Formats: sequence, structure tokens, C-alpha cells
Amino acid sequence: MKKWIPIASGLLAGFVAATISFADFSKSTNDQVASSNTKSDAEKVYVPFGEKDDYYLFASGGHSGQMFIYGVPSMRHIRTVPVFSPDSATGYGFDEHSKKLLGDYTWGDLHHPAFSETNGDYDGKYMFATDVGNSRAAAMDLETFTVKDIINVPNTSGPHCAAFVTQNTEYMFLPTRFAVPIGSEYKSLDDYSEQYRGVMSAVTFDQNKDKLNIAYQVALPPWSYDLSDAGKKSSADWAVMTTYNTEEATTNLEINASQADRDFIVLFNWKELEKMVADGQYDEVTGQKMIFPEKHKGGIYLVPVAKSPHGVDVTPDGKHFIASGKLAPSMTVFSFEKAFKAIEKQDFAGERNGIPIINYDSIMEREVNPENALGPLHTQFDDKGMAYTTMFISSEIVKWDPKTGETLDRVPVQYSPGHSVAAEGDTVSPDGKWLIALNKIAKDSYLSVGPSHPESMQLIDISGKMKVIQSSPVNPEPHYAQIIKADKIKTIEVYPKDENNKLATYKQDQARIERNGNEVHVYGIAMRSKFIFDAKAKRPDVIEVNQGDKVFLHLTNTDFDEDITHGFAINQYNLNMEVQPGQTNTIEFTADKAGTFPMYCTNFCSALHQEMTGYFLVKPKN
Amino acid sequence: MKAKKLSLVSSLLIALAAVLVGLSLFFPWWQMVFFAPQYPEGLNIIVYPNKLEGEIDIVNGLNHYIGMENFSEENFPELAYLPYLVIGLAVITLLTAILRKKAVLYGLIGLFIIGGALGVWDLTRALRKFGTNLSPTAPIKIDPFVPPLLGHNTVANFVTESILGYGSYFLIAAFILLLIPVWKDRRR
Repeated sequence: MKKWIPIASGLLAGFVAATISFADFSKSTNDQVASSNTKSDAEKVYVPFGEKDDYYLFASGGHSGQMFIYGVPSMRHIRTVPVFSPDSATGYGFDEHSKKLLGDYTWGDLHHPAFSETNGDYDGKYMFATDVGNSRAAAMDLETFTVKDIINVPNTSGPHCAAFVTQNTEYMFLPTRFAVPIGSEYKSLDDYSEQYRGVMSAVTFDQNKDKLNIAYQVALPPWSYDLSDAGKKSSADWAVMTTYNTEEATTNLEINASQADRDFIVLFNWKELEKMVADGQYDEVTGQKMIFPEKHKGGIYLVPVAKSPHGVDVTPDGKHFIASGKLAPSMTVFSFEKAFKAIEKQDFAGERNGIPIINYDSIMEREVNPENALGPLHTQFDDKGMAYTTMFISSEIVKWDPKTGETLDRVPVQYSPGHSVAAEGDTVSPDGKWLIALNKIAKDSYLSVGPSHPESMQLIDISGKMKVIQSSPVNPEPHYAQIIKADKIKTIEVYPKDENNKLATYKQDQARIERNGNEVHVYGIAMRSKFIFDAKAKRPDVIEVNQGDKVFLHLTNTDFDEDITHGFAINQYNLNMEVQPGQTNTIEFTADKAGTFPMYCTNFCSALHQEMTGYFLVKPKN
Repeated sequence: MKAKKLSLVSSLLIALAAVLVGLSLFFPWWQMVFFAPQYPEGLNIIVYPNKLEGEIDIVNGLNHYIGMENFSEENFPELAYLPYLVIGLAVITLLTAILRKKAVLYGLIGLFIIGGALGVWDLTRALRKFGTNLSPTAPIKIDPFVPPLLGHNTVANFVTESILGYGSYFLIAAFILLLIPVWKDRRR
């Protein structure tokens, strides 16, 4: 059977050659991994080039109106995403879509970010945020890290107590920090208790249309609502929020809102509220479906709590909620189960503003009071269900066991932590490993940049005894943040071609300028390294209009290549936008200034980026 | 001398060759990968008998800086008729397997050799055309060059690697399968 040898060898030769050409013999050479016990602090935070962080940190940017994206554990700042404020670097607030989203607002105060959730766990699809400054809510798409929708929320004035999403992102609730009259109408402060309301908004997000919508509102009493959390698992239909100024003070709140020994946690069943709205149990005011608790009874209860609490956080198992005292140096653990029983048995201690007050002793599990720990603000959890509470006044993080109240560990931070954030630390399954203290005072920490200091974020290894292992400066001002496992986020690198988009121009010979009366519509292309506005013109990169013309420029980036973003600016016209790879972006303006204005690519794209220019010629009137 | 028919085994081998030729239609024949500092993952031009695949637009976008003409299916009219030639070749090979005549087999081998030579000539011609016919107005001037049919080449910041695809290996395997009967049935 020797005859088979040549056949076999011939075929073998062919396939060996194919294997050599196509097979991937490269081995993963990961020799950086060592047991975390043996790593030094420096090694724990060092992410070598070519490797990436394990987690994303989404830190609220406070009154910058932005969201800051960091990598954990390296604590490297990766990106700033504008949300409630214009940003010339990305053209946010300049191009037509974002300009419409921002309206006339030029700033925002981004407080508490919240990921979309599925079964109480982050699903990595969307990030929601609220604007205390101008009462808005926003939804950011995590495929592109861009804001898809912003909604103005009437009646709710300063949604600080937000956003928190229910366990399958059915609702995002926006309770308010400031009470105002319905419709923000003019009403005397002497009539505060009667005329003012702390309106909470229930906002839904349509993931198919990328649209935020107000489902209904609740006219809660005129108190300040501070922080909140949605229930989980057995408490999934419920939510809790803290209040202060139940004194209903109208001036000098520092003193006057700190008089009562007890304020309240509002406990409500959103499924029940949803049903009430479906059954028509609401009043239509300012175009909103408004539940007035004193009139439309049910679904809302008050839980007395030590005065002026800040955070209220639901344990990962969904069985308890923990209030942080702020002005009372203790954390109070309440039982959802006991609360449900008390509600069933109508175990109430009277009413306030028409809302039943649940008997404190019936549902309180324990008051936890670590020695000399002052100013408890906010609690996060690890994979074992242990609680980590920030102490604003005593500048430390205290680890404790919610089941026993025992203090387990303490670590000082520099200084005055508001919130902290643990890896997926407010979900049904926290990861443990990392906690970041979001400190309000960064003095002594970094090279001085003068009297105005950055804030500080300190990375704490919580895998063993708590230890601060890294400190990272950050722009003003992270309030809350969220940490998500990196592999949950699936970004796109290039916008896919959309043949149905009438504004897009993908073929160079179809770049054109169409005039319709005094409207000029430009369907242009940006590509390495030129603009094509009119393929048939003598100079394809020139736009010529008459003074007073309305210009609609639709620019498509036809470089379907990772990280090849083009910018577009018109000199002296105060215009700049970004066109990401494959994207079509529109800018609209009136050519009110006659003259000659260079146009250029603002986002460095190639070796001939400098040459990527054109002229915008505006013929004077008369 | 009365020519006896080729053995059944030979006939089956030739039939297998016909299948391989047919199969090659569905696999790339040739591929060029471009590597640069900012493209460590490589950009591909993948040539099938009937189409081009890979990051053609990106390669074209970059090549315009050195004044190279665009790669496109319109620039390769071969892609329009090559599939028919391949199908024809597969059919002829299958006929050879059925006829089991040595003379026909010799003819087929000849056809393979001529076809292969034409293919190599055509690809070389294309590479020469693209590498030497650079626009005189290109922003970056480089000397004309001819990328090799197989192996590495360096142009500016790019290192290219040309390799054969599965389709070509199928054709080579088919050719070997055709040679075997010649040797096996040499006494017939």
C-alpha cells in the first residue's frame, strides 16, 4: 500500500502549509498575575500597557454637569462625558441633537448616577442621571457613552434624592430636595405648609425609542427628600427615601430644619401607585398625573428615624434598609418584612400630612452606634453583605455587620467622605474587592493649584483589612458614583452605516449642496483628510451662501475606522462639533455674518489633519 | 498499444480533486495583511474568486496618501468571470474522473498548469499596476514598488504580509491529487 504515501504526504503538505498560515500559535503571556496577597499596594493599582482595568467607575460630576469615567483599580481618568452642560470638546450642545436636549440651559448639577438594572443587577446598557440645578433627568447609552435623551421634570424642583431605578428599570424615581408650589407658581412662604409640595416624579425610559417620559407624580409633603434606594428581591416593589426639614421651616434651615428629634423615611409601594394611576386615582395638574397622598390613599407610609438622615440603603438580600443618621451618630437597621406586617396589621402611630406613620419599635431591628463615628452618610455593601458607611464628620469608613451591628473595621480617609462606592455595591450581588471614598476635602493631598482644590477619590482595598492604596484627584464634584464590571459594557467603535438615514452621505460623488429659498442644505463628507461638501463643484470643500441664509450642514464621517473622529468648526462663527467614525451629525445656524471664514477639522485625524480645511463664504446682503 | 482505463481509485482521486476545486470557490484564495504602529491588529485585503473582503475602504483611505489607486471589485474584472472558469474546471475534472482516460487527464493537468500560471501572472500584474502606478500629485511621495506575491514587504510605516488562502491550498491539493493517478497507473 506504498502507493498511498504520496497521496498522504501531498495532502499533509497542503494542510500543514494552511495551518502555518492561518492558525494562531500566539500564547497568552500573562505573567503579571500573582496572588493579591503577595502584591504590594503599587502592584495592585498598576495596570500595564495593553491590559485594561477590571471595572469602570462612573462618578457624578456635580455642578460641572458632566460624568467622569475612571478605570478601577488604576484610578486613571478615561473620559469626561458631558450630560447637562455644553462641551466644546465633543460639540455637545452645538450639534442639533444635543442642542435640542440642552435647550437654553448652560449648566447642570449632576448628582446621583444610576445604571439600568435587570433582576437587581447592573445590565450595562444605560446610565441615568439627574440634575439638581435645573430639574432634569438624562439617559446615557453605554454603547456610545453619549446622552440620548434629557427630560425637564416640572413640579419636582431639584431632584437630589435621585436617581434610583427599580430592579428591572421599570421606573427611575426623582424625589426632590426643594419643595415648591405645584407648577413653581408664585406663592408666599407664609403659606408654605399648605401651598408647597415635595413632588416626586416617576420616570420611565423607552429603550427602543431612547425616550424618557414622566409616568406620574406624587405630591409628597413640603419636606426635603435627600437620598433613596429601590427595594430588591422580596422588597422589589418597594422603595425608601429619607427626609429632612419635616419641621417645614422656610428660612435658616441649618438651624430650623434640625430641631425635630425625628424625621421620616418614606416607604412606598410603586406597584400600588402604578395601579392607583391605572385606576384613575389621581388629579390632573400641570398636564401631569398627580397623586395627592392625603386624598388618594394607599401605597405610601412614613417610618420615624433619627433626625436629618442622609442615605438610606437596601441590603443586597433586599430584607433590610439602613438609614444613616448624619446629625444623629448612628445607623438604624429596619426590617422590610416587619414593615410589611405592620402595614398589614395597621400598626400605625398616627398620621402626618395624611400619611400613616408606622410604629418605629415594630420594624426597627437595631441602632448601630460605632464609638466616636460621627456623621454617617451613606452605606455600601460587599459580597458577604457587610456594610461600609462613610462618616463625614469623623472622616472615615466604618465596616460593620448589619446582622449583629458589630463594628468590624475602620479606616481614616482624607477628608470628609460624602458617598462611597463599592464594586457593584448597591446591587443584589456586590463584588467586594474595592471601595472608593468620594472625599469632599482634598487639602494636603496633591500639588497645589491655588485656593480652589480638586476633590479626592481614595481607592480602598476591602479584600482583607481595609487599606487606602491609591488617591486620585478629580474635578468638582463627585457626589455618588457607580462601579460596574468592565465586561458588562459592550461599546461600539464605529457607527454602523444607516442606509435609511436621509441626512447621511456615504458616497463621495453624492456630496451636495441643495438650496431651497433661503435655506441651504449641505450633505457633506468628512474623511481623512478632507471635507467634500459639493462633489461637483470646482472646489468641493467650499460652502458659499448669502448673508441671512439658514444653513443645515449634515456631515458624515466616512472613515469607518476605530478612533478616527473628525471635528468641524467655522472660524469666528462660534461653532464646533464632533463627527464620530461612521456617524452623521447635523449643525444648524444662520449665516448672519458676511465675510470669509475658514472651516477646519478640530479633532486631530491624520498626518494631513492640518490640511483638512475649507472656506465658508458669506456674500453680503444688498 | 491499447490504452487501458485509469483505475477506480484514480478516478475517485480525480473526483475528489473536482470537489476541492468546487470548494475553493467559497474560500479566500489570497490575502494581504497590512500592519502599522496604530494598526497592530492588521488591515486585510482578502481576495475570493468572486469578491474582495476585509478593511478595503480603510486601506484605500490610507493608500490615497501615497497616490495609489483604489482597490475595488470594479478594478478587478476577473472577479466577474473567475467563478465560471472555476466551475468549468471543476466540471472538466469531474468529466475526467468519469471518462478515466489518461490522455484527458494529461490535458487536464496541462489546463491546471496553464490556469495556475495565468493566475500568478494576473496577480503579479495587478500588484505591479497598483504599486507602480502612483499618482504624481500624491501628498506623500514614495518610490514605486511591487509587493511580493507571498511574504513580507515594507512600505512607509506599513509592513505587509501576503499569504495564500484556503482556496489556493484546495487548488494545490487538487493538483496533487491529479498527479497521483499519473504515477499510480503508470504501467496501465
